Amino acid sequence: MSAASPWLRPAAVLVLCALPGAAQEGEFAAKLFQSGERAYADQAYKEALETWNQLLQSAPRSEFAPRVLLLLARYQVEVAKKPEAAMPYLDRLRTEYIKSPWAAEGLLLRGTLLARQARRPADLKDAMAEFHRVIDLFPDQPAVAGAHLELGRAWRDQGQWGSALQHFVFAYRLHPDGPSAPQALLEAAETLDLTGDLPGCLRLLQRVRTEFPRSPAAQEATWRMAVRVKLRITKPPLRLEGPWPAGRVKWLKTPILLAPASSGDLFLFQNDQDHAFRLKDGDLAPVGPPATGTRALVPTPGDGLWLLTRGTLLKEDGTSSPLGTLNAITGGRLDRWGNLWVADARTPALTLFAPDGSSRALPSPVATALAPLPTGGVVLASDADRSLHFLDAEGQPRLTVPYGKDLPAAYKSVVALAADPLGHVAALVDGGDYGEGVVVYGPDGAVLRQATLRTLGLSGRFTSLALDRAGGVVLCDRRNDTLFRLD
Amino acid sequence: MPPRRFLPLLLLGLLAAPGLRAQDPALKDTFLQAKALWATQGDRDGATARFESVVAALAPRAATLDAAGTQMLCESYNWLAVLDDRNPATKARALTRLQALLDLNPDFDVDRTLTSQRLIGQFERLRSEKLAQVKLSYDPPGGTLTVDGRATPALARKFLPFGTHKLVYARPGHTPAEAAVELGPRDVKSVDFKLTRVSSTITFYVQPSGAEVFLDGRSLGRAQGVAGAEALDVAIPAGLRPEDLSAGFVLDGLKPGKHELELRAPCFRTKRLEIAASFTTPMADHVLQVVRLEPSKGTLSVASAWPGGELFLDGQDRGPLPIQKLPVCAGTYDLLVRFPSGGFAQRLTVAEGGAVSLEARPKPRLALLGLEGDQAFTGRDRLLALLQKLGDRLQQVTFLAPRPGEAPRAALDRLRAAHEAELFLTAVPVPDQVIHRVELVLSTADGETEQTLVQPLEEDPLGPLVARLNAPLPLQTRGIDATLLDLPGQPGPWVLAASEAAQKAGLQLQKPIVQVEGQPVTDAAALRRALGAKDRVTLSQGGAPVTLPVQQEPLELPLASNALAYPAVLAQLRLQYLGAKGDEAGLLKLDIGLALMHFHRYDKAIEVLRDAHVGATLGVSQGTLDYETGLCFLRLGSAYHSEAAQAFRQALKYPQATLFGPDGPLVAPLARQALEDLK
Repeated sequence: MSAASPWLRPAAVLVLCALPGAAQEGEFAAKLFQSGERAYADQAYKEALETWNQLLQSAPRSEFAPRVLLLLARYQVEVAKKPEAAMPYLDRLRTEYIKSPWAAEGLLLRGTLLARQARRPADLKDAMAEFHRVIDLFPDQPAVAGAHLELGRAWRDQGQWGSALQHFVFAYRLHPDGPSAPQALLEAAETLDLTGDLPGCLRLLQRVRTEFPRSPAAQEATWRMAVRVKLRITKPPLRLEGPWPAGRVKWLKTPILLAPASSGDLFLFQNDQDHAFRLKDGDLAPVGPPATGTRALVPTPGDGLWLLTRGTLLKEDGTSSPLGTLNAITGGRLDRWGNLWVADARTPALTLFAPDGSSRALPSPVATALAPLPTGGVVLASDADRSLHFLDAEGQPRLTVPYGKDLPAAYKSVVALAADPLGHVAALVDGGDYGEGVVVYGPDGAVLRQATLRTLGLSGRFTSLALDRAGGVVLCDRRNDTLFRLD
Repeated sequence: MPPRRFLPLLLLGLLAAPGLRAQDPALKDTFLQAKALWATQGDRDGATARFESVVAALAPRAATLDAAGTQMLCESYNWLAVLDDRNPATKARALTRLQALLDLNPDFDVDRTLTSQRLIGQFERLRSEKLAQVKLSYDPPGGTLTVDGRATPALARKFLPFGTHKLVYARPGHTPAEAAVELGPRDVKSVDFKLTRVSSTITFYVQPSGAEVFLDGRSLGRAQGVAGAEALDVAIPAGLRPEDLSAGFVLDGLKPGKHELELRAPCFRTKRLEIAASFTTPMADHVLQVVRLEPSKGTLSVASAWPGGELFLDGQDRGPLPIQKLPVCAGTYDLLVRFPSGGFAQRLTVAEGGAVSLEARPKPRLALLGLEGDQAFTGRDRLLALLQKLGDRLQQVTFLAPRPGEAPRAALDRLRAAHEAELFLTAVPVPDQVIHRVELVLSTADGETEQTLVQPLEEDPLGPLVARLNAPLPLQTRGIDATLLDLPGQPGPWVLAASEAAQKAGLQLQKPIVQVEGQPVTDAAALRRALGAKDRVTLSQGGAPVTLPVQQEPLELPLASNALAYPAVLAQLRLQYLGAKGDEAGLLKLDIGLALMHFHRYDKAIEVLRDAHVGATLGVSQGTLDYETGLCFLRLGSAYHSEAAQAFRQALKYPQATLFGPDGPLVAPLARQALEDLK
C-alpha cells in the first residue's frame, strides 16, 4: 500500500485522535517555547512575545508556562526597560505557579523590582519578604544566593551593616561558583570596611581578585584595595604630579566644578561654556543641557548627572524642577531612595527633595560644601562652626571633625568637598594659619594626607576637587583653565 | 609435543585423582602378614583370610590402581589360587583366581617357585585360550610402548588378545616405529623395533618442582612431578634427594644450533640457560645437572591510621593490619585493604630483596547499582558500557561493578545490609514519550542524594560526574602565615600583615615579596603555587633572604560548589575522620557538619558539630565551629534559639576565628549580629 493510499488516511487520523490530549498539548507547548526562544535569541522580540503569549493561552498547564512568564518579565526589565510592565507576569507566576522551580527566579526578580521601587526603608518590607520566600521555599535553587545578596543590600540600605554582612556572606557561601558570588564577596568586603574592619575588608577584596580574577568585581576590588592601602595604610605625602591629564594646560574654559561619575569618569563644569562635560580618557564630552550658573554637580547611580543651578534642578534629559528658595547652593547628593539632598549657604538646614516633589528640611549647620558618603549620608563643611559634619543616611550627625584637627594649624574655611565611594573625603581648604591646601580624611575623620598649595608649588584659583580611583586628588584651577593632579 | 612431555602431567593427574594414590600401608602389612603366616607358620586359613581382605580392598578399584597396587593384587590372586588349590573344599576356586589374575594383567607370570606345575599348566592353558604371545626387542631401549593407543610397559614379552594389534614404540630424539601384528590361538610372534635418531634430547631436573619451561621464548609446559631413582646420578652431586626434584623434563626435537632455556616460577628468580650448539650436534641424549632456582622475595608492610583494615593480596586474605615485613614473592600484586567502611586498592610491585611500606587510607566504595527499568531507548547500550567502565576514570573512590542480572534495588539492599559500599550510583531514565534524559543518582548509605541529568547520546555523559567525583577536597591551603595583597604597581605580593614569628624571621610589613626560591614572583597566587609541597621557603623582599616555614591552613568545605559531588565528599570525610586525631579530627567534624548542612540535614550536623573540638583559635578554628553550630540550631527553628544563642556566645570567645579560610571574614561580628537578631 502506498503512502498516498486512501485507506491509510482514516487510520492515521484515528491514531492521532487516540493520542492523549495532555501529551499533544505538551508537545505543542514545547514547540512554541522553542520557537519563541529562537526568535528571542535573534532579537525578534515581537515574534518571541507573540509566540510565548500564544503558549500561555493555549497551554497554560504546560511545564513551559511558568518559564515563559519569567522570560516575559525579564524582557520587560532588560530589553523594554519597563520594570512596571514586568510585575503582572511575576504576580501571575507567583500566584499560579508557585510550585514551579521557575518561581524562585520570578520571586527574586519581583523582590528586586520592589526593592528598586522603594522610596524609604519601610518600603523594603515587601521586597525582603519576597527574598525570604525564595530562601524558605526553594532552599536548593541557585536563586537563594541571589536572594541573600539582595537581602544584604536591603539591610545595607537601612544602615544595618551587621545584617548586611551576614547575608552577603551567605550569598557567597551558598553558591561559591555562582554568578552572584564575586559581587557578594565584594559587597561583603565593602561592608566590613563600614563596620571598621579594614584588614578584613582588604583580605576579602584580595579573595575576590584571587577567586574571580576575570570578573568585573575583581577589577573593582583591585582599585578599592589599592586606594585603601594608599590612603589608610601607607599614606604617602601628597605631591604635585602636574597638570592633568597628560600635562595639558589651559585647555579648558573656566572649569569650576568637579564630581566623580559612578563609572569612575570625571564630570566637569566649565563656566564659560555653561555646560557640563564628561572627561573620559582625556577627552571631553558634553553632558546634559546647557546650564547657566550651575552651583553643584550631582552624579546619579546610572552614571548620569544632575545639575543644581540657582533655584533649579536640571536633569540630564533636559527636564527641570524648582528647588524653592535655594539660591546659594553649595552641594547636593542623590540618595538610594531618590531623595535629592541640597546644601545652601544661606539656609541653616539641608533640604531633601523627594521623588514625588515634596521637600523637607533636615536640621544642620549652614553648609559651605557637601559630598556624598557610601553610608548613604553626607559629609558637610560648615565654616560657621568650623567643623566637618559626617551625617548618616537619615541625616543624623555621626561624627564632627573640627577644622584643623590633627593638622599643624587650623584653616578657616572649606572651599569644596569631595568623597570617593570608599568613604574618603578630600577638602579644599583656605584661611587661618594653615592657608590654602588639600586635606584628605578617612571615613572616621582622621587626617590621612594633607598639603598646602604653597608647599605643593601651586598657585591659581582653585574651586573644586575630586578623588580619583588611584587615590589621587584632582584640583580644578579656574584661573589657569587647568586641572592638576596630586598623588 | 612428544608423548614423553605429557608423562609428568599424566602422572601428576593420576596421583591427584581420588582412589589412585599409593596403597594403604595397613593393607600392605596385611599382605606381608599373609605371606608370613603361610611361609613360617603354615597357617593357611589365616593367610587366606588376609589375602582375601587384600583382594576385597583392591579388586573394586583395579582399573585405577598404580603399578605397586596392581602387583600386590596380582600376587594375592596367585597366592589364593595356590591356597585354594591345596584345599579340597576350595580347589575349584583356584581357576577363578587365575582367571582374575589374567584379566587384571595378562603379562603377569605366576610365581613358579610357589605354584605347582599342575596349576601352572592350568594357568598357561587359560592364557592360551584368549591370548597369544608377542616377543619384543627395542633399539635403543628405554622408550615407551603403546598397544592400540594405550601405554603399556615396554616388556620383552607381552600377551595380547587374539586379533590385529597396532604397536608403537617411541623415544625422544627418534622417529617412532610402528608394527601391526595379527594373533591367533597358539601364535608366538616377534616384533623388533629399531628407531632412527632425528635430534638431540636434553633431560633436566628442576628444584623446586613446578617451574614453567620456555625454550627460545616458547612455553613448553611445566617441570613438575617428583623425580624417581633415575635421578640419583644428578641429585647426589647437588646434595639433594630425587624427591627434591621435579620429574625429568625432556627437551625433544631440538634443532641444530644454540637455544635459550628459561625457567620461571613464582617466588623464584627466573633462570636462563644457554644451550650450546654442541648439545644439538652431533645428535645425542644429554642430561643436565640439576637446575636450581634461587628464591626471589621481598617484604611488604602495610599500616593504617584507620582501624579494622584487612589485607588482601591478589584476592588472598593476608590478615589484619598492621602487617609488618610480610615476606612476599617479588612481583606485581593487586593489593586491597578492606576496612569496616571503605576500601583501599592499589597495584604495587615488590622488587626482589625490596621492602615496600605503605599507608592505607580508605577510599569510599562506590557501588554501581545499574540502570533502573528495562525501557529501551537510544543510547542505552552506550550509556551502560560507559557506566561499566566508570571505575577506570575514578581516583578518589573504589569502584564496585554491579553483579550481572541483579536489579538495582536488590543490589542496594544487599550492599547496605553487608556494609559493602558507602556510595551508590543508579541511572534512572526520565520518563518521557521518547527517553532522551537519564538521571544519575548518587547517594550515601544514609540517604544524602544528588542527581545529575545527562543525555545518553551526548559526547561524554559521565564527564561532569567523573570530574566532580575526582575533585580533591579543598580542606587545606598552604601559606606563610601572612596576609598578602596584589596591589597595582607593586612588583610582587605586598605584605599587609604577618605573624610575629614571620616578622621575627625577617618578613617586613608593607613591602612586596619579589622572589621565591630565587625566582621572581608576581602575585599572591603565584607565590602560593611556588610553595608546592615544601616545608620551608626562602623569600626576598629586595634585601636579605627570609626563610619561613610553610603552614597548612585549614579551609571550610564550600557549600553548594558545582565542583564537588557532595555524597562522595561526605563519604570521604567520614572515612578520613576515622583515622584522624586532635585538631585534624575536629576540623574534619566541622567539614562533615558543613557537608550535612549542604543537604539541609541540620539536626545531623549538630550531632557532629557539638562534640567537636579544635585547639586552634586563629582562622578556621573553634570559633568557626561554634558559629556553624549556631547556624544549624537557628535552622531548626525557634525551639532551639537558646542553644543557637549559646553557640554564638561561644563563637564570640574566639575573636580571631574566620569563615571560609585564613582570609575569610571574622566570625565574631557575624556571631554578634546573630545574637542581636535572636533578641
